[in-house]
Amino acid sequence: MKRIINKATILTVIFIAFGLVSNAQLSKKRKAQKDTKAWRYEIECVGIGKAGTKVIKVWSYSKKAKVAVAQAKKNAVHGIMFQGYTGGGQGCTSQRPLINDPSIEQQKEEFFDNFFNINGGKYMKFVSHSSDATPTVMKVGKEYKIGIVVTVMTNLLRKDLEKAGVVKGLSSGF
Amino acid sequence: MKKTFIALTLLLTGFTLAFGQAKKPTLMVVPSDVWCSKNGYMMEFDNQGTKIKIPDYKKALQEDADLLLVISSINDMMAERGFPLKNMESALKTLASNAAEDNMRSSKETGASVAENPIDMLKKVAKADIIIQMTWTINKTGPKKSITFVLQGLDAYTDKQIAGANGTGAPSFSAETPVLLKEAVTAHIDNFTGSLQAHFEDMFANGREIIVRIQTWDDWDGDLESEYGDDDDELGTIIEDWLADNTVKGRFSTTDMTETMALFEQVRIDLYNAKGRAQDARRFVKGLSKYLKNEPFLIPNKVVMKGLGRATIILGGK
Repeated sequence: MKRIINKATILTVIFIAFGLVSNAQLSKKRKAQKDTKAWRYEIECVGIGKAGTKVIKVWSYSKKAKVAVAQAKKNAVHGIMFQGYTGGGQGCTSQRPLINDPSIEQQKEEFFDNFFNINGGKYMKFVSHSSDATPTVMKVGKEYKIGIVVTVMTNLLRKDLEKAGVVKGLSSGF
Repeated sequence: MKKTFIALTLLLTGFTLAFGQAKKPTLMVVPSDVWCSKNGYMMEFDNQGTKIKIPDYKKALQEDADLLLVISSINDMMAERGFPLKNMESALKTLASNAAEDNMRSSKETGASVAENPIDMLKKVAKADIIIQMTWTINKTGPKKSITFVLQGLDAYTDKQIAGANGTGAPSFSAETPVLLKEAVTAHIDNFTGSLQAHFEDMFANGREIIVRIQTWDDWDGDLESEYGDDDDELGTIIEDWLADNTVKGRFSTTDMTETMALFEQVRIDLYNAKGRAQDARRFVKGLSKYLKNEPFLIPNKVVMKGLGRATIILGGK
């Protein structure tokens, strides 16, 4: 009887621990989602990647360093879509955003809500960052500004947006 | 009922496929005169005492491997965007083989040759609606090497630059020229296609921009100052009124007007005519041609075209 009680106690403790961990992860994701809503970030070009990709450094802001890291990829894809970047060193030339009309974000709100959903949004398919790359961490006032180098697959992203009817292809209408 | 529905759907689909698309411009990558001159690919002619230099594209394409690499890279990236380009080397080869075939061809019954007037001969050149002109220069500072790359999209009819991208790449100690060139194309192609896309969007919104010329045969007894109608309007003014009525939002500029010729630039025409068919400069000017042939003008005329964006009416006969 005692053994059964012990087993039950251990199982309960495991379940509670698991619940707390997943709740913490969920909370981190929620925090990242909340912080990303304001789209506070800066992007800069750090080099010419392979054809069809862009290598950029994205600076994200958050009170928690881990949250800023989590939202970096989202910000990078959003930046390529809506901001573009100016030129810089390493042979970088200025880059237009993939979407010329910023009001599209409001017009197709549902599409972008799904696209940038932190729980498996499609944006994850178009961005990668090396786990070896060390983020640049800066403390600005009460929050962190964290820079991470990521690669955005711009060709695939553009094709996906064309397919979804968000942007027009070069040959559309002909 | 179901059959009728299917038939109607098929009919509508067919109509959309047949008439729903604007005339697609052709694009071709061409090295600039500056590049040809710097790399020794120019031909020199003596034109009555004046030395004239023209680019020797055939020689450049046969001898310069870097040029092939750049053209092929641009062609690849444009094809990937659903807009395959005309290949200049193939266009030149086709022209040569067509000319050889035409010279050998004769009618089986009469032995007659293929008719060709001097204008036909002049028109036998590699052409496209939009020329992608490119230039690159290799900059050297000590052991370091960088590439300045310029891409210009030029409308063959209006002579306007409708797209462009340019810049200088990062200096490198070790990279070979072809690697730097490939990197330059990769760095600039997105901006180039972005500005080309903006041009197409403007075209869909405000119409295609064309050039219309009016000329007169020297044996015609009328001219553009001849007066017609109850108001005694001059023919030049009548043509301007027709353009104002038939262009998108009445947009055109009268660049030149004499008694023997008129030049209209920035003429914006609808991409589709009243029948829903795709429209180019020739189809648009045919409307003016018919208008002038009918009462009260009764002016016989000839329409001459040049690609999608330039057409000329010669008044006074065919």
